Amino acid sequence: MGYINAILILCGINIIAALGVSILTGYTGLFSIGHAGFMALGGYVSAILVKEFGVHFVIALLAGGAFAGICSFIIGYPAFRSRLRGDYFAIATLGFSEAIRLILNNTREIGPIKTGAAFGYMNIPSHTTVLVVVVAVLLALYFAHMFVTSQYGKNCIAVGQDEVAAQMMGVDLLKTKLMALFISAFYAGVAGGLLGFYFAYLSPSFFTITKSSDLLAAVVFGGIQSLIGPFITAFVLIAVPEFLRALAEWRLIIYGFLFVVVMIYRPQGLLGYVEMNLNFVRAGWDKLRRKTGPAEG
Amino acid sequence: MTTHADEILSIRNLTVDFGGVRAVNNVSLSLKKGEMVALIGPNGAGKTTIFNLITNAVRPTTGQILLNGKNILGKSPDQICRLGISRTFQNIRLFPQMTAYENVELGLHSTPRYSLAEAFFRTPRARRIESDTRKKALELLEMVNLQEHAHARASSLPYGLQRRLEIARAMATSPQLLLLDEPAAGMNEDECNELIELVRKIHTSMQYTIIIIEHHMAVVMELCRDSRIYVLNLGSLLTVGTPQEIQNNPDVIKAYLGERKNARDLSAS
Repeated sequence: MGYINAILILCGINIIAALGVSILTGYTGLFSIGHAGFMALGGYVSAILVKEFGVHFVIALLAGGAFAGICSFIIGYPAFRSRLRGDYFAIATLGFSEAIRLILNNTREIGPIKTGAAFGYMNIPSHTTVLVVVVAVLLALYFAHMFVTSQYGKNCIAVGQDEVAAQMMGVDLLKTKLMALFISAFYAGVAGGLLGFYFAYLSPSFFTITKSSDLLAAVVFGGIQSLIGPFITAFVLIAVPEFLRALAEWRLIIYGFLFVVVMIYRPQGLLGYVEMNLNFVRAGWDKLRRKTGPAEG
Repeated sequence: MTTHADEILSIRNLTVDFGGVRAVNNVSLSLKKGEMVALIGPNGAGKTTIFNLITNAVRPTTGQILLNGKNILGKSPDQICRLGISRTFQNIRLFPQMTAYENVELGLHSTPRYSLAEAFFRTPRARRIESDTRKKALELLEMVNLQEHAHARASSLPYGLQRRLEIARAMATSPQLLLLDEPAAGMNEDECNELIELVRKIHTSMQYTIIIIEHHMAVVMELCRDSRIYVLNLGSLLTVGTPQEIQNNPDVIKAYLGERKNARDLSAS
C-alpha cells in the first residue's frame, strides 16, 4: 500500500507541474525546458517557510508558487521583450533553470538557514499525503480549466496560433505571455513544494533538465491545447516505468521511439485540441437553441 | 498644416526604406469620418506596406500618421488596434485551429473585460460578460452570413468564407477605421458581388471608415463610385481621383499595363 501511495503522490506532483507546462506550451505555444527550475524555487521557498518560520504548509505552498511565478519574470520579461520564440525561448528557460540548480548546488547557507548545497536541504516537515495531493491535483485541474476557458486563456491560445494576428487584433503580447508564464511557474512551484514535503528532503539534483524534459514530454505527448491529455500522460509517464522496473534500462529508448511515432502520426499529441469541457456538447446545445429560438436572454 | 475636425486618418509624407529599396515614397493621404476609399496599384506598389505602416507592423523611415489628430507612430500594433484601427490580411491570418465563432470572439475580448481573479472563480459578473460577448460574436457572424459555420474550424472553411470571417473578426474590435487588404482576392464574380454588398452594408450601417486594397477593378469601381481612389506605383502616389478619372488616366494605364501591346485590358479583371 505504501508503495502504491508513493507512486500516486509522485504522479500527482508530476500532473500539477505538467498542467503548468501545458498552459505555457500547450496553450500559449511557448516551449519551456526549464520548469524544473521553477519547481526548485517553489520547493525550497515553501520548505524554508515551513521549517524555519513555522508557516502553515498550505500557505507555504502558495507562497512558493508565487515566488516561482515572480522569478519567472526575470527570464520572461527580457525574453518576451526581445521577442524570443520557439527554440530560442526554450534555450533561455533551460539556461535559467540550470543557473538556479547550480546556485542551489553551491549555496551552503542563506544567512542562518542551512540549505545544504549539493547535499540537499534536510529534515523538511512531512506534509504531503495522498489526500493532500489529490486535493491539490483537483484544484490545479479546476483552476487550469477556468483559466484556459476564460477570455485570458483564449487570448493565450490566439497568441499560440498566430502571434502577429493576435497582436493586430489587440492582444497585448507581453502581458499575455507573462501571465501564462507566471501561472505556469506557479504550478511548477507548488509541485516543487509538494515534492519537498513528501521526501522531507530537497536536493538540487532533483531538478535537472531530465525533470524539465519529462514535463515537456508529458505535454507534447498528451496533446497541445488540452488539459486532460497532459494529465493522463503525466500520470502514465511516472506510473508505467514504476511497474516496468525490469525494463528500466530500455526506458529512454522506448521514450524516443514513442516520440518519433507520435510526432509522425499525431503531431498535435495524443489528445491534441481535445478539451475536457466537451466542447461538442456545447456546440450541439447552441445549435439546438438556435433552432428552437432563443430560450434565454 | 491644417487638420479638419472630421479627419479621422491623416498620413503625411510617409516614407519607408527596406535596405536599399524605397517601398513607400513620400505618400500623403487623408480620410474623413465615414468615407470609403480604395488603394490600388500594380503588385509591389506598396499598398500592403501602407497598411503595415498604419498598424505599425512596419516602422516608417520618416513621416507622420495621425488618428483623430493624434500621432500614433511608435505605438505597438495592439495599442493601435485599441485606438480603433483594425485590419484584414492579404494572405489570410485567421487562428486556424479555432472555430469561426472563436475567431470573432477573440476580437471582442482581446482586452479581457474582467479581471484575472474573476476569470479563475468565474464570478456571475464574468459569466454575464461572457454571455454578452457570445451574443455579440454571433451577431457579427450573422452580419457576414456565416452563422451556419459558427462551429466549423476556421482552417476548414472555404477560401471565400475565410475572407468574410476575417472581416467579421476585424469588426469585432469595434474599429473606427477598417483596413481591408484584398478582400476579393481569389473570388469569382458571384462571390465578388456578395462581397460588394457586404462591404457596402457594413459601411453604411456601422458607419465605419474604410480603406480597401483591391485588384478586382470591378469591385473597386463599384465600391468607390462616389468617393475616390488612390493609385500607387513603385511606392509613390501616382494620382487620386474618382473611378472615372482613374480609368481614363493615361499614367494609371501605363503603370498597370506597361507599354507593351499584348497586355490585358485594365477593366477586364
